[in-house]
Order: sequence, then structure tokens, then C-alpha cells
Amino acid sequence: MTVGGPAERGSFEDEPAGTVALDEVPEGVVLTVGGALDLALAPTLRRTVERAARLRPRLIVIDLTAVTFLASSGMAELVRARRQLRGEVGVRVVATGRLVLRPLQLTRLTDELDIHATLADALARG
Amino acid sequence: MSAMLDTADGPGPDAETLLTALAATVRGPDGRPVPVERVPLDGDAVAALCGAAADGPGVVVPDDDRLAARLPGATAAIVVADRAAGGGVALVARATVDHTHRVAAEAVAAATGGLHRALAGLRAEAAVIGALQSVGRRLTAQLDIDTLVQDATDAATTAVGAAFGAFFYNLVDRFGESYTLYTLSGVPREAFSRFPMPRNTEVFAPTFDGTGTVRSDDITSDRRFGHNAPYHGMPEGHLPVRSYLAVSVISPTSGQVLGGFFFGHPEPGRFTGRHEALAEGIAGYSAIALDNAQLYERERNLTRELSRSMLPEAPAVPGVELVTRYLPASTGHKIGGDWFDVVPLAAGATAYVIGDVVGHGVTAATVMGQVRTAIRSYALLGLAPSEVLRHVSALLDAFADPTFVTCFYAVHTPGDGLVYANAGHLPAVLRHADGTLEQLGEAMAQPLGVGSTFGERTAAFPPGTDLLLYTDGLVESRSRDLTEGIEWLLAAVVGLPRPITGEACDGLVATLTGGAHDDDIALVAVHRTA
Repeated sequence: MTVGGPAERGSFEDEPAGTVALDEVPEGVVLTVGGALDLALAPTLRRTVERAARLRPRLIVIDLTAVTFLASSGMAELVRARRQLRGEVGVRVVATGRLVLRPLQLTRLTDELDIHATLADALARG
Repeated sequence: MSAMLDTADGPGPDAETLLTALAATVRGPDGRPVPVERVPLDGDAVAALCGAAADGPGVVVPDDDRLAARLPGATAAIVVADRAAGGGVALVARATVDHTHRVAAEAVAAATGGLHRALAGLRAEAAVIGALQSVGRRLTAQLDIDTLVQDATDAATTAVGAAFGAFFYNLVDRFGESYTLYTLSGVPREAFSRFPMPRNTEVFAPTFDGTGTVRSDDITSDRRFGHNAPYHGMPEGHLPVRSYLAVSVISPTSGQVLGGFFFGHPEPGRFTGRHEALAEGIAGYSAIALDNAQLYERERNLTRELSRSMLPEAPAVPGVELVTRYLPASTGHKIGGDWFDVVPLAAGATAYVIGDVVGHGVTAATVMGQVRTAIRSYALLGLAPSEVLRHVSALLDAFADPTFVTCFYAVHTPGDGLVYANAGHLPAVLRHADGTLEQLGEAMAQPLGVGSTFGERTAAFPPGTDLLLYTDGLVESRSRDLTEGIEWLLAAVVGLPRPITGEACDGLVATLTGGAHDDDIALVAVHRTA
């Protein structure tokens, strides 16, 4: 089930819009983010996280494997999701490759976020 | 309905029946049918044969002159128009005929006239709705005022069938003063450039005051016309206007008159109630679109002014050459939350600050202003860099809406080198006197608003050394990742002159971004001279 459609786009942007898809799996909810996770897509990610939280899953996994650009507005949403759902829902992030990992390292969000290399890994750990 | 060729479905079996029946009414003086030939006609031929009657019911007997001109040798003809196909058929006789066919054609025309008019009315109505809808969709999606007003003027002028149209609209400049601009359609700008702006005369007042549409079959004979000096009517050389239609454009949000559409035609009686309705419809869409465009423009200017007004003039600092830059995004309309600051402290020390508030627009700009002031305040209290960042982060944590601010903060005390702390910001670049580069403060701590503890480090900063602080707009874009961007920056910094000049900074930005940065950029270059 894909609910988070393409982000609103300004007419001045030529790049394809990023996407957020929501899928329910036995372990919880997986949000698959694709494209540029920037200011344009951040509100979509926030709404989709809120929608996922209303499903009352045990776990929400935000999969950034297909993200091509991680802006600070995108990182801010990851922190927001983690902090707002603390104590209610586990929030994990799948991040691999320097496009996504480097910004997370420079901001030391690697300390804050529960980061896994693969989706299987994120879903597996108790 | 069966007697009409002129249906949306085109000629059908009924048309064949009609043509056969009409052909049988073409008779000689003896009352017997004469041979009749069917001649297919295109739209021009129908118009040439029927003249003004071509717009009426679909069955016409052309008069003798038109017949002779178009169908030489014919003695009589009945034209059956098929408007859906844009043409028709002529039933043509070349023998002597009586007037029976004339009576029959008139009877058919009379019988179908009402139906024809109803159908024509419905079609026109559908065209009006279609035109309005497509104009509305186009206009309300447009945020650029210049494009918007020209498009609206062209669309409205075409829709009402005016010879020319003008749209006068009011804008408010940044000093709050109102001024009027206009666009034209159907006529070159020079045709109006010699005339003053229309004033609030009796003819124009209802439109500029927003008290109602003015439609006149002949404005020159209107009682409101011609009362005002110096022209008492239209100025010499003005395009001749008889038919006149003017509609106000009124803001749906403020109720203010934003402007007005004016349409003219040199012939009298050209504008109908339908044209009036169309013009009012387009004016309504134009009002919404203008409202949107102006609100958008205002937000953009406000944010730009806000972030500009909050950026400091870097003070002169003894013993250093200083270059600072703030560049708003060169593509798109995004205003960012980047800032820099240079704060003179006690005992000849100086704080150098660079940072980036997540997000764009007014929110980011106001948060930036608050964070900048907070950092300045804690800095002036003489707190250590790590303490300054810790206090500001705690302050941000108390904001209702979570924020995320990266910031590099360094204090230089002459004789004592640099002490710096970094809250998730990109590392600063130190160029030593021997030309080697060092990155300062990589991944030291989390951003302000996220982290709660911040480390502190020191670096020597002897004369001949350069310190470069920058924001991510310089090194990062959707087409280039951060790692690569930082490598490019380091490679470029090696070649910069000593001290780093303003031109060198501008050149650096141009080289790294290719002149099109889609994010804002802040830069501080500090060269230690003594």
C-alpha cells in the first residue's frame, strides 16, 4: 500500500520528486523513501510517519536505501520521528552508502538514531 | 430535429431525406421537377452563397447575384449547411424554375429556426464555459505577475471578441506606495504610450471604484462620456472606441479593487451580455491569481528582507583581513536560514560564527535571528565555545516546534590561537602558512536543538594562516554529494590567493556551484596578518 505520494514540487525544480511509500509488514511498518529527502519531501515524510504511528505498530523502519540526497531538513524529520515516538514505537533507520551516511556522521546523528545497514537487519533485531 | 443537417452528429439518414425532398421542390414553369445537381460546398462557399444568412437556419436560397458569382450558369439553388462539418451541399438547377423551391426552403427554415437558435445558444454556452475554465486553470496556477496579467489580458480580449483590450492594475511598492501598470492586447504598446493613465472620470469611475461593469453599445453617445478636460472624450490619436466594456478586478480576500479590464471595438454594438459574463468570469479568476501572486511576492520579499536585515556588517578586526559573504539561492525562490557573525569580545578576542537553520522561509529566518542573537549574548558574557553552544541548544530545545541548527563557533584570542566548538556543522578549513590544509571540527557534536553536550578543541592560528567557514550550499547539491563537494572545496582553497580576497571568494562560489546554487550560501574567510 503506497500512501505517501510524491511531494509537492515547486515549478522551478527539474529533479524528479522524492517519494515515501508505506508498507505494513508482520514486524511493523516500513516507510521506503526514494530520491532527494530534502525540504520538499520532508513534510511528506512527517505526515507518513504520523500515519504510520496511528497504525500502532511495534516498530517503524524508515528505509533510506534509495535516498539520493539527504538534506538537513530530512535529518531533522528523522530526529523528530525518533523523539516524538520515544517510549511508544521503536523507530529504526536503514542507511547505507556515503550519500546518506556522511551527513548523518557529520551531525553525529549516528549516535542518536538506531541505524541499520539493511532492511532485513532493521526488522530482525528484537 | 429530423429536418436539420446541422446537428452535432453531422448529416445522417435524415439529411438524405431532407435533400431528396428539397430537390423535388425545384420545378419548372410547368410545375414539373427539373434536374438537380448536388454540389458539395466548403465553409467559404457556404458563406459566399448565403452571406449573413449563413449564420441562420441551415436551409437558404441564395439571391441571384451571389448565385451568379459563385455558381455561374445556375438558375436556382438551395444551400443546406452542415455546420458540424464546416460546409454543406448546394442543390443546383440549370433549367428555368418557378418559385416553389423558395417557398419550401423558407418553410423548412421557419420550422427549424427555433431549434437552430437553441442549438447555437447551447454551443456558445459550452464554449464560454470551456474557455472560462481553461483560462481559470491557467491563471490561478501562475505566480509570476507579469506573465499572469498579460495572459489574462490576451485571454479576455479574445474571449469577448474585442478589437483591443487593456488591463490596468495596481501594485504596492516596498515603500507602501501604490502605482499602476497596464498590459495591452490586440494593439502595440506604442498606441497608448503617449497617453496619460486613465483618470477617475465618469466613464472609468465604476471600474476603478469597483461599483459595477460598464457595457455600452456606443460609448461616444453615453451621457457619461466627454465631460473632462483636457480631451473631452478620447485623446487625439486614441484608437477609435465605440463598443465599450469594462470590468473591475476585485480581490476576493481584501475586497480591494486590484485593477480593471477595458475592452474596445471601433464598431458599435459588439459586446453582448454573454461577453460581459465572460469578462466578469475572467476578471474573477484574474483577481484570485493576482491575490496569490502578490501574497507570494510579499512573502518572498519579507523573508529576503528579514534575512538581509539580520545579517551583520562584519566589523574591522585588528590583525586580520576579513571577507564575509551571504548569497541567497540563485535558482528558485528559496530563502534559507544561513548566517554568519563576527563578534568582538573582551581582551581583543573575536568570535567567528557560521550556521544554518534547517528549512526555508520566514520561520527559518526568524529562528536564525534568534539563534544569532542568543549566540552573541552568550559570547559577550565571555562563555567558552562549548558552553555557548550548550546554552543555545538548551534554549532551542524549549521552542514549541523542534528546530535543527548547525553551527561552527570559534574564538580567536591574539597570542592564544583558536578555541572552537562545532554543533553538527561542516568542518572549517584551516590553510596553514605553508599551504597545507586542515579540517577543523569534523563531526564533533550534534546540531543545536538536538545535542546537549559539546566538545571544544584548540588550533594554532599564527600570522599567514587562513580560516574558512562555510555552509552546505557551497559544497552540496542534489547532483553532488557532500564527500565529493568537500574534496572539491579543499582542492580549490589550495589555489586561493593570500589573503583571500572578496573576488577570490566570489570566484570560489562560482567555481564550486557552477553559478547556480539552489541553496543559500554563507562564507567567512579570516586571514591572520599580524
